[in-house]
Amino acid sequence: MLRQPQSWAPGLFFPLLLAAVYASQFSRAVTIEGFPFPNVSFLDFVLPACVIQGVLFGSTNSASDLAADIENSFMDRLLVSPVSRGSILLSRLASAFIYGVAQAAVLISIFVLFGANIAGGFSSIISIVLIAAMLSVSMGSFGIAVALRTGSQEVVQSTFPLIFVAVFVSSAFFPVQLMEGWYGAIARKNPLTWVIDPTRRMAIEGFSWADFGQSLGIVLVIASIGILISIRQLRRRLVRAQ
Amino acid sequence: MSNPIEVTELSRSFGNLRAVDSINLTVTSGEVFGFLGPNGAGKSTAVRMLTTLLKPTSGSARVAGFDVVGDPSAVRKKIGVALQDAAIDPLMTGNELLRLQCVLHGLPKRSSLKRCGDLLERVGLTAAGDRRVGTYSGGMRRRLDLALSLVHEPEVLFLDEPTTGLDPTSRMALWEEVRNLNKDLGTTVFLTTQYLEEADQLAERIAIIDDGKIVREGSPASLKSAVGAPTLRVDVSENDLPLARKAMSHFGEERPARRNRIAIGLVSGTTGITDVLKALDDAGVEIHHVELDEPSLDDVFADATGRRLEGGQV
Amino acid sequence: MSSFDSPQVPSFAVVFAGIQRGLIRLQRIPSLILPAVLMPIFFVVAFSGSFASIVELEGYETDKAVNWMTAWAVMQGAAFSGMGAGGLAGTDLENGFFDRLRVAPTRPMALIGGLVGYCVCRALIPITAVLIVAFAFLNADMPGGLLGVVMVYLSGVGMSVVMSFLVLGIVFTFKTLKSLAIAQIIMFSSMFLSVGQAPIQAIEGWLHHVAAVNPITNVIRMCRQGFLGEVTWATTQPGLIALLGMMLGTGIWARIRYKKVDA
Repeated sequence: MLRQPQSWAPGLFFPLLLAAVYASQFSRAVTIEGFPFPNVSFLDFVLPACVIQGVLFGSTNSASDLAADIENSFMDRLLVSPVSRGSILLSRLASAFIYGVAQAAVLISIFVLFGANIAGGFSSIISIVLIAAMLSVSMGSFGIAVALRTGSQEVVQSTFPLIFVAVFVSSAFFPVQLMEGWYGAIARKNPLTWVIDPTRRMAIEGFSWADFGQSLGIVLVIASIGILISIRQLRRRLVRAQ
Repeated sequence: MSNPIEVTELSRSFGNLRAVDSINLTVTSGEVFGFLGPNGAGKSTAVRMLTTLLKPTSGSARVAGFDVVGDPSAVRKKIGVALQDAAIDPLMTGNELLRLQCVLHGLPKRSSLKRCGDLLERVGLTAAGDRRVGTYSGGMRRRLDLALSLVHEPEVLFLDEPTTGLDPTSRMALWEEVRNLNKDLGTTVFLTTQYLEEADQLAERIAIIDDGKIVREGSPASLKSAVGAPTLRVDVSENDLPLARKAMSHFGEERPARRNRIAIGLVSGTTGITDVLKALDDAGVEIHHVELDEPSLDDVFADATGRRLEGGQV
Repeated sequence: MSSFDSPQVPSFAVVFAGIQRGLIRLQRIPSLILPAVLMPIFFVVAFSGSFASIVELEGYETDKAVNWMTAWAVMQGAAFSGMGAGGLAGTDLENGFFDRLRVAPTRPMALIGGLVGYCVCRALIPITAVLIVAFAFLNADMPGGLLGVVMVYLSGVGMSVVMSFLVLGIVFTFKTLKSLAIAQIIMFSSMFLSVGQAPIQAIEGWLHHVAAVNPITNVIRMCRQGFLGEVTWATTQPGLIALLGMMLGTGIWARIRYKKVDA
């Protein structure tokens, strides 16, 4: 994995660039009337979003690998071997999880090094890492469903901008309270907003079981939907293979 | 007038590897010159230097009267190049590529339209001219590549492995094309190939390159007769090999051969075969198979390098 | 012997043929340009939407975020179109067609010019698309009038030339399509470290200094002026100087790397 910097380098580079740029460019944004956290630095504000964005950058990797396996028919060989069908899915999801944990931990360490403040301390950090990693699993499972359905690496990779859009049209980089019109309406209904807001509260105000429960709960719901769809797609593929 | 290609001590190294090692060559006007060698012998490197695409490490080359390093753009005006694998943009049509090629060589628009039509007809692609190259067969691509290299009526034409990967029919069609070009227009042709038959069929003179060095040079006929003796090949069982080798060693020098086979250059010529068979019989060797071949370029290559070319008779 | 003997290949025709070839290819695989159009459209929508209230801060000189962000999206789209030159040259280098171009008796700058010209044509599509979205759906203003629109196109075209040269130099160095990833990182960093999203007064710390000296800052100001007020020579001139300077620098870089393609 270390030999393929193109699979993880963008996930480190872009969140760091965005965080650095936003922290200096929008540092005064916290003084805008109605900003929900008027006493924190903008870096602290975007930290959770940047971690989540970085993790999502890599979340399509495992799905893309799966599509590659289908393309070069390595998948067929797996299917005729006595490997359990479920473990094909499970191993992909596990790798998305591990990737998420690693990426989130590295990003948070770098942010802290550059002066970011995480009020909740260790328990908040663990929560953020856990939520980010589970989000990687959720998005990964949707990617896997696409991979199983289409068997095309290109299609899987082309879903990536959708993730980018989803992150942007949420509370990730700016409070939804300050957004207007239809854009604000969409952002307020984006499930990612419901995940990011409590995660951010944990980073800025300190750990709370209520916030942890809310964000993890929503992530788990998204993940279960994704996993259910990919199980369905795997069954379809198995039926077609027979 | 000077010779179209004159090469003096030309070398090119990549790191520690000497891909082309001090080669000397002269190609005379109007001839088809074959550059024969196995994969990785340095053929393409040599062609890339002669066509100004690659700078030599040392030595010099003059093509069409101009130095390839000193005056590359003068050389480029005089040469046509069809590089290995017929690298052509698959999204463009044959016609579009020909017209692009005309512009790249500064042909006036009016004359280039007619020229493109003529060239497509020459290589038999008139019907396919408006189709994308991506839909062409391998043979069609090579023929288009040939046409592309001819738009400016070059004095010297370089063909780098023009038939590699083609089926026999397409290969022979392309040979015919090259022969006609050479005959009709008097174009000097420098062709590289790894196929013995191609060099034998097309080239008036050849140079054999191996490991970056030229190991033989001359007309195919003179090279073959220089190897001299025809090759006698005898298949025996493994246990009989030492006996057979000893018996046959009196009749000529041993040549490279495959497993359980002994090959010699039969000094006494074709008529000496009965003596060899008798000697083997006397030695108690059981003979499985016998063949006798007049010398081929393959033998020339084996004689020069101690190895056989792919596809050669072993 | 040769019936045809050209004194010098006219470079203009070669540039034109290069542009034509790029556009023909684009017409055959239109999806090539999709990301380059969709990305800046998304940028103008998302940045204007997400940061709608940011214009309340001092220095934005406008009451609508879209007036600030449209120029930013236009510049992104123009710069990103430079990837097209790299994509085409990289494809040609990888499949060997580039040798065919190189072995022709044309001036290298004419070949490079064809690739750059193709990108300029490409850049017009996202620039126009962003303007349409900004004016038709996001209620952007243009107090600078027609001259302001001219400034948008002028700076966009200039930026696409600069980025094409830059990306070509990188692709000539590595000779692979993969090296476009490096080009992308360099491109995005240089764009983000400017006044793209925030006025210089609002930027703090090290980025304030970087953005102040980044020539792209001047180009973005030139592009943006018509959205904020009248077009003035005082804002236009630094932009033009920055563009010409960057064109010269990146042009020389591309030309030098071209020479090394087969050294």
